[in-house]
Amino acid sequence: MPQRLQRGRKYLQIALNSNLFEAGQIISSLPSDARILLEAGTPLIKAEGISSVSHLRSYWLTKGLNFGLASQPSWLNMSAEEAQPDAEAIMLKAGVEKLNAFIPSWLKNSLMTKQPQVIAGPNVAAIAPMKKDLAAPYIVADLKTADLASWEVMMAEEAGASAVTCLGVAPLETINSFIAECQKNSIDSMVDMMNVKNPLLVLEELTVPPNVVILHRGVDEEAFNREKELPYHDIQLIKNKYDILIAVAGGDDFREVQRAIFNDADIVVVWKSFFAPSEETANLATRFLQEIR
Amino acid sequence: MISLLPASERILLEAGTPYIKRYGYKGIAVLKSWWDQKLGQPGYVVADLKCMDRGSTEVALAAAAGASAATCLGLAPPETVNQFILECQRVGIDSMVDMMNVEFPFEVLGRLSQLPNIVVIHRGVDEASNQEKEIPFHHIQRIKETYDVLISVAGGESFREAGQAIFNDADIAVVWKQFYDKPEQMAELATEFLREIK
Repeated sequence: MPQRLQRGRKYLQIALNSNLFEAGQIISSLPSDARILLEAGTPLIKAEGISSVSHLRSYWLTKGLNFGLASQPSWLNMSAEEAQPDAEAIMLKAGVEKLNAFIPSWLKNSLMTKQPQVIAGPNVAAIAPMKKDLAAPYIVADLKTADLASWEVMMAEEAGASAVTCLGVAPLETINSFIAECQKNSIDSMVDMMNVKNPLLVLEELTVPPNVVILHRGVDEEAFNREKELPYHDIQLIKNKYDILIAVAGGDDFREVQRAIFNDADIVVVWKSFFAPSEETANLATRFLQEIR
Repeated sequence: MISLLPASERILLEAGTPYIKRYGYKGIAVLKSWWDQKLGQPGYVVADLKCMDRGSTEVALAAAAGASAATCLGLAPPETVNQFILECQRVGIDSMVDMMNVEFPFEVLGRLSQLPNIVVIHRGVDEASNQEKEIPFHHIQRIKETYDVLISVAGGESFREAGQAIFNDADIAVVWKQFYDKPEQMAELATEFLREIK
């Protein structure tokens, strides 16, 4: 059963947007704090597929386990090049046989059937009992669903997501279907209000409200339009009317995180400080957690 | 399914959004390879990214995987749509702006720094469950009279609807459901659709 969010608690959602190799390194540096939510960011999912959700889960559950160098799982020892086969090189080699040789067996099997494949990554069942105090991570699949909501929710749930995101600009039929499917699968529904002028108007149209509303200033919006601010004022407007948790995304420095919490946001989403692993990863995470307590 | 399709240059293959989310860009590379093999020459593959943010990153990776075109949502922030179109130009692939749930596509196009290559008029799969929602064919002529863009129509699943799109001067008709429901009839369905849109 996936983890669910607790009311009255503040969370730090760390969006992982680069590649699985770096995600693994970043996760290994993070403190094991129940207030940390992991996010398989949209760029990561589009790059690696939905199996990135189950990989993040595996990385979290194997954090800090000391197998000893000789017995570490092989994927931990992969170089960045091994972990990231060059798509262009693959294409240059073109030809079905050569690509078939590259395609991992799980993809071949999935391509041949309509049955979804759950990618478990390393053998977590064997590893997890070795560390009794491991808590299952809360993982957000940032799918930004715009259509075929039930398909996408099921795909995320099968991969082990605790929550999925849908766009607030999506058709009403999609958002309603999305929320219903999340409820059916007991995972949290998050509606991302990026580029929505009036989130309350969207919420009013829905059959049932989602578990979480994300107030979101996009990366391109921030980079190319300095005047666009985060809509902190919407937090109280929404909370006055609905029993919903609010996440704020798009404000990545300590000041903006403080402002989000001061305005009663429940979840603060950050990614820039965690785009690539560094010696500062652990300290940054600790510092952000201090800002949200 | 690809192996059953007729080898026609008039068929554009699409890596659908759920497919990309399931398999990633490598899934696009696989489709590209299989389609090229089938055609005996480079084929046209659309990466239905439905980009909503970070337009340039997504386009670059889709192009590297072999896509000939990529899609961005018309409802994305204008900053994203503009970056998306610019990046498509830079890497040499077609830009498609998907107007799903956009009441006035004209307003979206009017705000852009540059036009995309293709505008997609789109009734979503979930929207189609609402019997009252029709495909907005009326936008096709209005857009074509004002802008030099190609028009793609998505959301029509029957031969009649594909024919209606072409009758209304669409350049591309997007279909999927009949192929998904009856993969064993792939060859006949594709041939029938090609006849409808000639």
